[in-house]
Amino acid sequence: MARRTVLYRLSPYLFLIVPLIIYCIWVVGPMLYTIYLSFTNWDGVSSPAVIGWRNYQKLFRDPVFYISLTNNLKWMLCFITIPVVGGLALALALNRNIPGAKFFKTSFYSPMVLSLVVCGLIWSWMYHPAKGLINESLRLIGLDALAKGWLSDRRLVMWAIIAVGVWRQVGYVMVLYLAGLQGVDPTLVDASRVDGCSNWQTIWHVILPLLSPVTVVVVVISIIDSLRAFDLVSVMTRGGPYYSSSVLANFMYIEAFNNYKMGYGAAISVILFILSAVFIFLYLWRVMQTEMEY
Amino acid sequence: MKRYLLTLLSLVAILTVVVACAPQTVTVTVERTVPVRETVQVTVEKPVAKRIVIYNSYMSDPAPREADAALVKMFEEEHPDIDVIHSTIAHEDFKQAIRAYLTASTPPDVMTWFAGNRARFFIDKGLIMDISDVWEKEGWNESYPKGFRALSTVNDKQYFLPASWYWWAVYYRKDIFDQYGLKPPQTWDEFLQVCETLKKNGITPITIGTKYPWTAAGWFDYLNMRVNGPEFHINLMLGKERYDDPRVKKVFTDYWGVLIQKGYFLENAAAYSWSEALQFMIEGKAAMYLMGDFIRDSYPDELEGNLDFFRFPIIDPNVPIGEDAPTDGFFIAANSQHPEEAKLFLAFLGSVKAQQYFADTLGRLPTNMGVDTSKFTPVQLKGLELIKGADYVAQFYDRDTTPEMAEKGMAGFMEFWDNPGAIDDILARLEAARQEIFAGQ
Repeated sequence: MARRTVLYRLSPYLFLIVPLIIYCIWVVGPMLYTIYLSFTNWDGVSSPAVIGWRNYQKLFRDPVFYISLTNNLKWMLCFITIPVVGGLALALALNRNIPGAKFFKTSFYSPMVLSLVVCGLIWSWMYHPAKGLINESLRLIGLDALAKGWLSDRRLVMWAIIAVGVWRQVGYVMVLYLAGLQGVDPTLVDASRVDGCSNWQTIWHVILPLLSPVTVVVVVISIIDSLRAFDLVSVMTRGGPYYSSSVLANFMYIEAFNNYKMGYGAAISVILFILSAVFIFLYLWRVMQTEMEY
Repeated sequence: MKRYLLTLLSLVAILTVVVACAPQTVTVTVERTVPVRETVQVTVEKPVAKRIVIYNSYMSDPAPREADAALVKMFEEEHPDIDVIHSTIAHEDFKQAIRAYLTASTPPDVMTWFAGNRARFFIDKGLIMDISDVWEKEGWNESYPKGFRALSTVNDKQYFLPASWYWWAVYYRKDIFDQYGLKPPQTWDEFLQVCETLKKNGITPITIGTKYPWTAAGWFDYLNMRVNGPEFHINLMLGKERYDDPRVKKVFTDYWGVLIQKGYFLENAAAYSWSEALQFMIEGKAAMYLMGDFIRDSYPDELEGNLDFFRFPIIDPNVPIGEDAPTDGFFIAANSQHPEEAKLFLAFLGSVKAQQYFADTLGRLPTNMGVDTSKFTPVQLKGLELIKGADYVAQFYDRDTTPEMAEKGMAGFMEFWDNPGAIDDILARLEAARQEIFAGQ
């Protein structure tokens, strides 16, 4: 019997052994190697030499690091407010049998189908200072003063890029909330109506609390997405003009692959990893909790 | 308990299947050994007959790409037994991928690259093959000018094949200049005058796209060489002069800053790549562009008659003249798996025939003195004169200094462009970067 229980405990691991080996070689291994590299001065060609905490000391003195971090925080703030509120509003509006609801749902979700690189390219054309759709339209209605160099002005460029991200994210959040609304028990809504709730009161006191597990997932996903931000920046400005639209991932990419400072790039990615890990663990913890409830 | 039994049973079932499979496959292969042998004999012959050489190129702009492919075809016709596996990688991506190529166990055999410091870095690391034997055998020691030979030589051995070079100059629209009665300026004052006239008439005097900021680095190269001389410039590139030197500051405050403050450059330049900014010139909305001769590859052929160039205006006549003339070429990876084929291909690329073709189709200047210059276009001859009249030839900002210093420097130029008042801050930061970057060298 003792032998059997041992086997019983081991059997899930026996099944997992192949994927675990693959995971270790391709995910855990490179991760640990990156942490090791962050303590070296590797340039991508010579053999790496350990230089202690020097990369991290340099990083915390580097103004570009703080610009990038601030930009990631801006991104995060926008992502946990605008798409969440907008997506929720759209979901509530379209979760009824109004004519054309399917069409609108599809249209709002459709940007999600495009890759970020394609979004970045299309929006670069829309933002074109001389011939772009946005500036041309503004000039057409006589608002010449508002026709700016969206991607060349260091005060606007970050917001212009975040706007593209938000545009794409709204539809995604909407779909998550629409799915969540399916799980809201209609009898509860009816009961609130019978008790004399106004529309707002129903939403605020009945529907929103029931959607709170979805909201947690949405917020955490938005935070993780904002830390991952890279594609749009890389395509639209490459972090320019002079780092004003740099985000951590882009900063890391330029240091490692353009300046050939692999060690320094590794240090940046370790910091980015730590930041992301906090939110990913929060997310996983929440997911496991909700799973246990059922 | 039931579950556990099921698990065990399924495990046993899977194991038996695996075990059962193994001998079966063996018997199958044993049974079929005879026919397999026959097919092997056939396939083995082919690779012996068809040799290969892997060639990665960064010539990704449309016109050079076409010429590059034509060269490969010419080589394959000359050597029907060799297949060239040719990949073209976008220029910016290539710069980033080359380290991975060079350190791979099976690298591409032949690659395009920049002559000078950028190649020297890899030569010092032992990643580029010594091709002195090719130089010797092909007679390049005699047929290539000494300057180009020196550019390819480290410790008396040749590692690089300089294949083509081009000049930088101020390109301008002849028709627009004619319209306003302007002549190509030779001095700084004349240049400012031209800018002023164009600006007054609603034409953007100078177009530039700084989304990728190397275009701005061209302005720094020329202004610094004209104001402080090429010797000071190249020492700054090598990390031997300080960025917070008052001479460097003068370039920004007295010259570059003046052009920016007077609004002579294209508006929102940072939103465009170099070729997007060229559109303004093609449409006649802008008149001048400081650019390398590859500008003509992207300029519509039917309008090229209106495009001409002049030497960057002289600022101080007492200062020797420096020009940017970047040299591109080829090398063989040190751990190339097909060194024989690679050397044959390289010998072809450096031959008079290949260089003649490249020079004739693209208008680049060849390095091999055997190339017949009688068929050169007036544009090529004018470019040749431009460089012959120079006292010193530099490669370019991001080729003459280290990649990291170039990246930081160009970001500094862009910051100055946006905020000229911060120049002291910017130069202090660049100086700190210089000390750190060149400390280990």
